[in-house]
Amino acid sequence: MTGGSSPASTLSPGSPEVRRRDWKTRLRGGAKKVFVWKIWSHVVYGGAAVVGGILFLLELGYLGVYHLSFALGALHSFLAIHPLQGFLLSLEVVGVILPVGFGLGFLVGWARTTRFVILRGLGSVFVDFFRSMPPIALIFFFALITGLELRGSGIDPYTAQTLIMWMGVVALALHTAAYQAEIMRAGILSVPAGQTDAADALGISRMRAMFVVVLPQAFRLSLPALGNEFSSSIKDTSLLNVIGWMELGGVSLALAANSIEYSHYLAGSLVVWIEAAFLYFVVTYIATRTVRGVEDLFKVPGLEVAKS
Amino acid sequence: MSSIRVKGVRKSFGELEVLRGVDLEVNSGEVLCIVGPSGSGKSTLLRCMNLLVIPDEGQIFLDDVALTDPRIRPEWVRQNIGMVFQSFNLFTHLTVKRNVMLALRHVKRMNRAKAEKVAVSQLTRVGLADKLNAYPAQLSGGQQQRVAIARALAMDPKAILFDEPTSALDPESIHEVLAVMSRIGQEGMTMAVVTHEMGFAKEVADRVVFFDAGRVVEEGTPDEIFERAGHERTQAFMKKILR
Ligand SMILES: Nc1ncnc2c1ncn2[C@@H]1O[C@H](COP(=O)(O)OP(=O)(O)O)[C@@H](O)[C@H]1O
Ligand SMILES: [Mg+2]
Repeated sequence: MTGGSSPASTLSPGSPEVRRRDWKTRLRGGAKKVFVWKIWSHVVYGGAAVVGGILFLLELGYLGVYHLSFALGALHSFLAIHPLQGFLLSLEVVGVILPVGFGLGFLVGWARTTRFVILRGLGSVFVDFFRSMPPIALIFFFALITGLELRGSGIDPYTAQTLIMWMGVVALALHTAAYQAEIMRAGILSVPAGQTDAADALGISRMRAMFVVVLPQAFRLSLPALGNEFSSSIKDTSLLNVIGWMELGGVSLALAANSIEYSHYLAGSLVVWIEAAFLYFVVTYIATRTVRGVEDLFKVPGLEVAKS
Repeated sequence: MSSIRVKGVRKSFGELEVLRGVDLEVNSGEVLCIVGPSGSGKSTLLRCMNLLVIPDEGQIFLDDVALTDPRIRPEWVRQNIGMVFQSFNLFTHLTVKRNVMLALRHVKRMNRAKAEKVAVSQLTRVGLADKLNAYPAQLSGGQQQRVAIARALAMDPKAILFDEPTSALDPESIHEVLAVMSRIGQEGMTMAVVTHEMGFAKEVADRVVFFDAGRVVEEGTPDEIFERAGHERTQAFMKKILR
């Protein structure tokens, strides 16, 4: 019919392409595809993984030293703190929470839309738990449970402290993941059924249709809500000082307390918190601007979310 | 082109029996129109033909291949039987050209250049060569439906199913879509068309079936069904539509 002539009918019930492929041919075909895929992507992804891993290790070591100077140091070290130091630490924490929360949130949100009952169930338990807990309680739970687990384990106090503090960061990542999962689920569900119908009717497999039809649309529809959640999540890091993090919130608390030594205690505190607020503003602004930029980059007529 | 044969197909959704033993044949190169009241199961019947709905009972053949055989991959069936929907269902996030290319790339595994060539030639065929890079939201309903037809044609299907392709359109668009469908029919495509467009059915259909309450009530040439229906129910329905 198209592009010239096609034989009247070339079908026969036994011809191999008509049959469902058995799992062996599927595997073989799949493996070949994965291999071909790897040739170009190995360099990119492998490189990124190695660099990321090295940075992460450096990070752990660095944070240890950094933390030690505060948690085990004498009071006078507080006086030497500048809010920018806390700001950098906040950035590091945000740099862990946002990617982990986004990745996990995406997977959980997707799991909740599949037809696999077990996946859906696990997804809802995750969301229900982490969404209904105030972040500060989650931080304490994670830190305290880790503390109890490590007690008497012979682990050195410095490593134990580092672990405990990082578990607080994990708690925040899981908290935002729960919110992002719901955003992603809503995005996936708001892609009309007609879209998957059309993909089905063209012979596109369900999995592939997810990647080339549903997710590109769901992602666009989710972006504004994701931007919102990113900014909430950034500001939630200001709770981490309750378990000893000297991030921007912690530094500001300490500096504000120290301003009692000055003649104008209230004014001193105010200056500290204005500075903190400004720095938080800078990070959230950059994050939400970036999301807006991504929104514009992928904007398509007919898929806009209502403009504010 | 291929023929589609439906034999004793039954389908229930829960308690509701929607198809109650359907026998139907769309011969190779034939245009078959299916008319009938809304809710009678016409869409479900079409969706059974490309396995979007799996029948509970009965068989469906594409030429000699029993599509209802569990060993058959549904994806294979669907890439060989095109479908055009009432609501177009173009991929919102893709340009017109990419809408047509998507399945060529991912199902037929064509390279980009080849897929692009096929897409352009099919879009030219439905008169949309100047809209290649437009997004669906920028097109009229009639243009969108023609893209949907080009998307189905590009797969080089052995038959195409149309489910009320003009029911969501204004009169002008109806005309342009029907014109494209007539041409495809005349070029020898096997087509099963659910429609209320009696003008189209009379001019283009080789045969018409009247479908009601999950069964084929009557079938014949357009003249036989529209002018000299044997069944009371067919007569009553025709009176309502032809009014
Ligand atoms: N997926 C489904 N689940 C439940 N009921 C359905 C489904 N699809 C169709 N039906 C029901 O089957 C009946 C026939 O629907 P349909 O085939 O769309 O009829 P028609 O196209 O002739 O209007 C309707 O009552 C409809 O509500
Ligand atoms: Mg219908």
